[in-house]
Amino acid sequence: MNRLPARAGAAGLVGLTAVFFLLPIAYLVSVSFKTKDDVLTGSFLPHGPTLANWPGAFSAAPLVGFIGNSVLVATLSALVTVALTLPAAYAMIRLKVAEGWLPQATLASYMAPPVVALLPLFFLLKFTGLLNSQLGLALVYAFGNVPVAFWLLAPFLRRVPLEIEQAAAIDGAGPVRTLVSVVAPMVAPGIAATAIICGVLAYNEFLLASAFTLSGETRTLPVGLSLFQGDRLVNFGQIAAASLAAIAPVYLIALFMQRFLVEGLAHGGVK
Amino acid sequence: MSAVAEAAPSGVQSIGQLAGGGTDRLLRFLWVAPLVFALVVTTLYPTVFLIALSLSKSTLGKPFSAFVGLAQILRVLGDPQFQLALARSVLFAVVVSALQLVLGFAIALLFSRLLKAGRFLVSLVLLPLMTPPVAVGVAWKLILAPAGGLLNGVLADLGLTDAPLSFLATPFLAWVSLILADVWQWTPFVVILCFAALTTIPESVNEAAAIDGASRWQRLRHVTLPLVAAPLSAIFLLKMIIAFKLFDLVYVLTFGGPGFATTTAGFSIWRMALERFDVGGAAAQTLVFSIVIGLVTLPVVRFNKAMEARER
Repeated sequence: MNRLPARAGAAGLVGLTAVFFLLPIAYLVSVSFKTKDDVLTGSFLPHGPTLANWPGAFSAAPLVGFIGNSVLVATLSALVTVALTLPAAYAMIRLKVAEGWLPQATLASYMAPPVVALLPLFFLLKFTGLLNSQLGLALVYAFGNVPVAFWLLAPFLRRVPLEIEQAAAIDGAGPVRTLVSVVAPMVAPGIAATAIICGVLAYNEFLLASAFTLSGETRTLPVGLSLFQGDRLVNFGQIAAASLAAIAPVYLIALFMQRFLVEGLAHGGVK
Repeated sequence: MSAVAEAAPSGVQSIGQLAGGGTDRLLRFLWVAPLVFALVVTTLYPTVFLIALSLSKSTLGKPFSAFVGLAQILRVLGDPQFQLALARSVLFAVVVSALQLVLGFAIALLFSRLLKAGRFLVSLVLLPLMTPPVAVGVAWKLILAPAGGLLNGVLADLGLTDAPLSFLATPFLAWVSLILADVWQWTPFVVILCFAALTTIPESVNEAAAIDGASRWQRLRHVTLPLVAAPLSAIFLLKMIIAFKLFDLVYVLTFGGPGFATTTAGFSIWRMALERFDVGGAAAQTLVFSIVIGLVTLPVVRFNKAMEARER
């Protein structure tokens, strides 16, 4: 009957969706190869592409240093977040510690926008001497992402068969041993997904980074990128190249870890 | 391994019991202590600190120099600019969350019919979600630019416009632009969650309905939707919470303008604190904003609880 038109219609819709989600990135790539005059034409593809914007962007701002700071802060914060959250989530689910209020407390904490913590954490970092340091920013993210990690990890831990843990207990393993050598390896994909998502959140964060890092040595990539904008001589080609440099690390992770990430998000979001 | 598992005494509910249920409370609390510490630093301490800041005179260099009582909170509550900013934040959160839920669910439905290709497409939409919001802002700024923007180029080529449109300099179009960029970034999140919810529906349920002669629309309305209603309400709640965090896109795309047209509560607080250095005023605004978020999301939380209770 009308199967073929329906299929063609579905394919068309899928194509439209894919174009919408790929277009901005594709345009960034195109603009990064455009000359200053070419940018003003508003055409999709560059006329007479140039490579000059890429070295130009890297010499206009210390992008390599920004990338280094971002990766350092993201990695450190993700590791600390998982280390803080895994034992707590495990204890809540299996040892029934604080199961009454812990989920509510983490949700309430997640509901507050980061701008709420802006001033209090600014003064706290200043007081502890951690203002304008990578360590200070990493700790802010590590603590701030705990609710996200909690909600992502919990479903993975819930699905570990109780029998396996009971067996470990009978073999004489205490809860700490059980978590470290039995449960953690079993939920390794969940831990990896959680760590990556928290790391990406930290890598992408702008508001707190812009307030807590005050010099070129500590600034992260989103902050560095925003500074490009403030320049009076706006060079769209260089901004596009710098943006792509900022995007590249997360897209590489997405490419290799997509399975984990989709699964991690899917389980965490819908119980 | 399985032999050992079978030998486990029946009736044991948790490892806690095996480890000796009477372990003292302090030792048990140690398990969650690091997480609780993180929550104290990021949530409890800021709340107490903000209340103190809003009741006193402060600068970034020297907080709490004098007690001023409720003066700052009353000033903020009576400020028509801030009232408008609050209204904008609430409206934005409701509009984008609803829009993204409908769009994301539709795309997930579309993808779920495609089996293998669907899984690939779900991985593809991961990209916008992972893009740094500042870079999202830059990309859309390039597309929307009056001189050399892709959209203006396309509109001119099609003969739809005579002169380039300044999308980000017109209040209404600036909002449309912000919503467009936010839809680009966050709809994929809804797609991934909806896709997961849809895959929990057994194929046989849909087949049975089809055999009973239910049309595609009837199946969606009476079979699929009721089965995913609870996750959908949870996704909507999550999306609203995220929408209230909007900041980066405003900063990059409009900087709150033209005039104050796209100044949301979050952006207003940031300007007050870091541009005008009015720490007390910013703290008072933050408190009011938090309360508004709580009040607006409360009905959604209630609705979500009711949906989940219905499921059991």
